[in-house]
Amino acid sequence: MDLFLQYFANGIVTGSTYVLVAVGLTLIFGILGVVNFAHGEFYMIGGYAGVFSVSVLHLPILPAIGLVLAAAAVVGLVAEVILYRPMKNRDATSSIISSFGLAVVFQNAALAVMGSQPQRLDLDVSRIPVLSHLPTEFGPVFLPQQRTLLPVAMVLLIALLYLVLRYTWTGLSLRAMAQNTTMARLCGVRVERVAVVTFMVGAALAGIAGMLMSSIFFVYPIVGNMIALKAFTVVILGGMGNVAGAAVAGLLLGVTESLTSAYISNAARDIVGFVFVILVLLFRPQGLFGRSVDRS
Amino acid sequence: MSASILEAKGISRRFGGVVAVAEVSLSVGKGQIVGLIGPNGSGKSTMVNLVTGELAPDSGSFLFNGSDITAEPSYRRARLGMARSFQLLRLFHSLSVEENLLLANYMRMSSSLAASILGRRSATGEEFRARQRARELLAWFDLQAFADRPVSALSIGQQRMVEIARGLMSEPALFVLDEPAAGLSPPNVDRLIQLVRRLRDEFGISILLVEHVMRVVQDLCDHVVVLDSGRKIAEGTPDTVVKDSVVVEAYIGTGWRRRAKA
Amino acid sequence: MKSLLVSLGTTVLLVLAPFLVGGYETNVLMIILFFVILAVGLDLVSGYCGQFSFATGSFYGLGAYTAAIMSRDLGTSIWIHLPAGALVAGLFGLLLGMPALRLKGHFLAIVTIAFQTIVYLVISQWTSFTGGQVGLTLSNPGPVRLFGMTLFELGSLRSYYWLTLAMTVICLTVAWRLVHSRLGREWIAIRDDETLAAAVGINTTRGKLTAFIASAALAGVAGVITAHALRGVTPNDFMIWTSATVVAMVVIGGRGTFIGPIIGAVLLATLPELLGRFAEYKLLIYGMLLVIAVTLFPDGLAGLWQARRVTR
Repeated sequence: MDLFLQYFANGIVTGSTYVLVAVGLTLIFGILGVVNFAHGEFYMIGGYAGVFSVSVLHLPILPAIGLVLAAAAVVGLVAEVILYRPMKNRDATSSIISSFGLAVVFQNAALAVMGSQPQRLDLDVSRIPVLSHLPTEFGPVFLPQQRTLLPVAMVLLIALLYLVLRYTWTGLSLRAMAQNTTMARLCGVRVERVAVVTFMVGAALAGIAGMLMSSIFFVYPIVGNMIALKAFTVVILGGMGNVAGAAVAGLLLGVTESLTSAYISNAARDIVGFVFVILVLLFRPQGLFGRSVDRS
Repeated sequence: MSASILEAKGISRRFGGVVAVAEVSLSVGKGQIVGLIGPNGSGKSTMVNLVTGELAPDSGSFLFNGSDITAEPSYRRARLGMARSFQLLRLFHSLSVEENLLLANYMRMSSSLAASILGRRSATGEEFRARQRARELLAWFDLQAFADRPVSALSIGQQRMVEIARGLMSEPALFVLDEPAAGLSPPNVDRLIQLVRRLRDEFGISILLVEHVMRVVQDLCDHVVVLDSGRKIAEGTPDTVVKDSVVVEAYIGTGWRRRAKA
Repeated sequence: MKSLLVSLGTTVLLVLAPFLVGGYETNVLMIILFFVILAVGLDLVSGYCGQFSFATGSFYGLGAYTAAIMSRDLGTSIWIHLPAGALVAGLFGLLLGMPALRLKGHFLAIVTIAFQTIVYLVISQWTSFTGGQVGLTLSNPGPVRLFGMTLFELGSLRSYYWLTLAMTVICLTVAWRLVHSRLGREWIAIRDDETLAAAVGINTTRGKLTAFIASAALAGVAGVITAHALRGVTPNDFMIWTSATVVAMVVIGGRGTFIGPIIGAVLLATLPELLGRFAEYKLLIYGMLLVIAVTLFPDGLAGLWQARRVTR
C-alpha cells in the first residue's frame, strides 16, 4: 500500500504538469478554435528559460519565475502572430500544418542554440523561504520539495485562472469569445487583444510547468513533443475547451502512467496515453466531460 | 402499398433535450409531388436529412420502393435511387460543372473500379458517354457553355440548376428538393416551377419538396404535409392546407383570432 | 504532349545520370527519388482525399523493417521484400484509416501523430524483434536473377540507383492512374464535401480507406529500397521528423496536384546540398518554409504556377 501511495503521489506530480500544459492548450482551442501543435515548445522554452535564469544568471527564485513568464509570454505572442492572425478564416488543416512547422522551427532552433545535451535546473531549495520549510515526507510518501512544488503551483495557477475567468472583464471577454466571436466583437470585446492574451496565458502556464519540471527531470530540445502529445490526450479526454475537464483528466493521466510504469512496464507507460486517446476519439470524441469554456 | 415510392412511419429524432421530429409519418406516391412545409424550426430540414440518410432516426422506419432502408447510410440510399438538393447549395468546388454531374453518375457505372484505374476501354468508354450525357443535360438547362468552368463561375440561380441537373444524372426515382427556390428572383422561381413539373412529367421522377415560398408549393404540389414543432399538424391538398386554421395558427400565431373576434 | 516529352526527357537524363555525375551526386539523386515516392504517396491521402496524415514516417519505417526482418529471418531477396513491404505498410495504412473514418481536421491529425509515435515507440523498444535503437543490418542481396539468369549484380550504388529510378517510375505511374481514375475523382469529392459525396452515391468509407492504403503502400515500397540501399535500418530514420519533412514537401510543392509533391521533394531534398555547412539546420529551414508556404501560398509552388498561367 505504501508503494502504491508513492506511485500515486508521483503520478500527481507529473499529472500537475499535464494539467498546466493542457489547460493552456484547451483555452486556446476553446476560445480561438486553433489547435496549436507547437504548444509543447512553450514548455520547452520555459524549461530552458528557467535553467538560464537560475544556472546562468543566478537569479533568485521569484525573478527567475518572472523571467520564465516573460519569455513564455513573448513566445506566446510570436505564436499568435504567426498561427492565429493569418489563419483566422482558413480551413482547419492550414493552422495545423503551420503550428506543426512552427514546432519544428522552435525545436531545431533550440537544438542549434542550446545543443542536444539534456540540462537540468538546479533549484537550491534551501535558499527559497517558503519551500525550504515544506516537509519532504507525507506519511509513507517521499516527495522532495521540487516535486511538491508542482501540484502546489498547479492548484494556485488554476485557481487564479478560474477567478480571472469568472470575475474579471478579461475573463468575461474570453468566455464570450468562446461562445461566439462575432457577438463578442459586437459587444465591444477586443477580439484581437483577447487572442493575444489567450496565447500568452497558455504559453505562460506551459512555461511554468516546463521550468518546474526541469528541476526534477531534464529539459532538451525535443522534450516538447511528448509533452504536447500528452497534453492533447488530456485535452481530448477532458473535452476540448473544458478547463475543469482538463484539470481532472491531466491528473488522471499522470496517475495512470505512474501506475502503469510501476505495475506493468516502463515501456507501456507512454503508450497507454496514446491508446487512451485513440479509444476516446473513436468512441467519445467529445471527451469524458464534453466541451465548454463558458461553464468554467 | 407499392404505389408509394417513399413511406416514412413514425419517425422521431431528438438532439439532446430538443425533440426535432416526433412521430412523423408521410408518404410520396409514385409520380407525386409532395410538399413539406412548416414555420421555422418545425423540423423540416431534420426530416429531410432523415429521409436521405444524413441523420439516423431514433425510432420509426423508412420504406423505399417497398424495402426497408432505415439502416442504410446516405450513399446507399443514393444508389437505390434517391437524389437530393441542399438548402445551402452543395457543389464540388474543385471540379468543373461537367465533372460535378459526372460524379453523380459514377454509381450507375458498370465497369469495375479496377478497369477505371487501369484505363481500360470499358471504363473510359463509359466515362466518355457519361460526359456526353452530362453535356446534353447541361444544354437542357442552357448551361452547356459552363461545362468546363469551375462552379464558382456560376450565379446562385445557375448553381441551383446544376444541383438539379446533378440529381438527374443519377437517374433517381425520388428527388428530394430542399428549399430550391431560396434566394431566387421571381422569374427564376417561375422557371423552377416549370422545371420541377417537367422532372415529374417527362422523367417520371417523384418529388419531395421542402419549401417556404408558398407559390411554389401551391403551383406544384399534389399533396402537402405540414410540420410544426416536430409534429405533423395537417396534410392534404395545397388549398385545404392553406385554409386550415391549425396551419395558419402555427405560422402566424393565435393573436389573429383574438383580433378577428374583437 | 509537351509534358510527356518533358517527362521522357527527364527520365532519360536520370537514367544516364550515374555516367554523368559522381557517386556522391548519384546517392543524392537516389535519396531525392525516395522522397518523390513518399511525397506523391502522401499527397494521395492528404492532398487529393483531404485526410491529413503525419504518419508517413511510420509507413516508410514499416516497409524498411519488413525488408530487414525478412532478410534476417527468411533470407529472402529484395524482390520478395518489395511486395511484402507494400503489403505490410498497406495493412497498417488500413489500420490507421479506420479511426480516420470518423475523425476530421485536428482530431484526425492527432490520431496520425499518435499512430506515428506508437509505431516508433514499438520499433525502438521491441529490441528482441527489431533490434531496438541500434536497428538491423542487411546483408548483400547478391546478384539479381530472373528466370535463373543473372541480370546484374545488385550491390553497387549504381544498381540501387537504377532500381530506385525504376520503382519511382512504377510508383508514379500507379499514382497517376489512381488519380485519373474514378477513385481519384471520388477522393477529390470526399475532400471537397464529404456529405455531398455520400449523397451522390460515393462510398466515402472505401474512398478514404483506399487513400490511406495506397499512400502507406507507396511509402512502404520506398522503405524497402531504402533499407537495402542503406544496408540497414535504425528507428531514428522513421520518426516524426521524416513525416514533417514529407508534409513540408507536399505543402510547399502544392497539395492535390501531381507535380506539386515532386517539386517539393526535389526542392527540399536538394536543399541540404545547397546549404553547405548550414546543412545541419535543414529541419529548421524546412519548418520555416512550411510555415511561410502554408501562410502565404497555401496552394504551394504548383498553385502559384497555375495562378500565373490563368491571369496571363
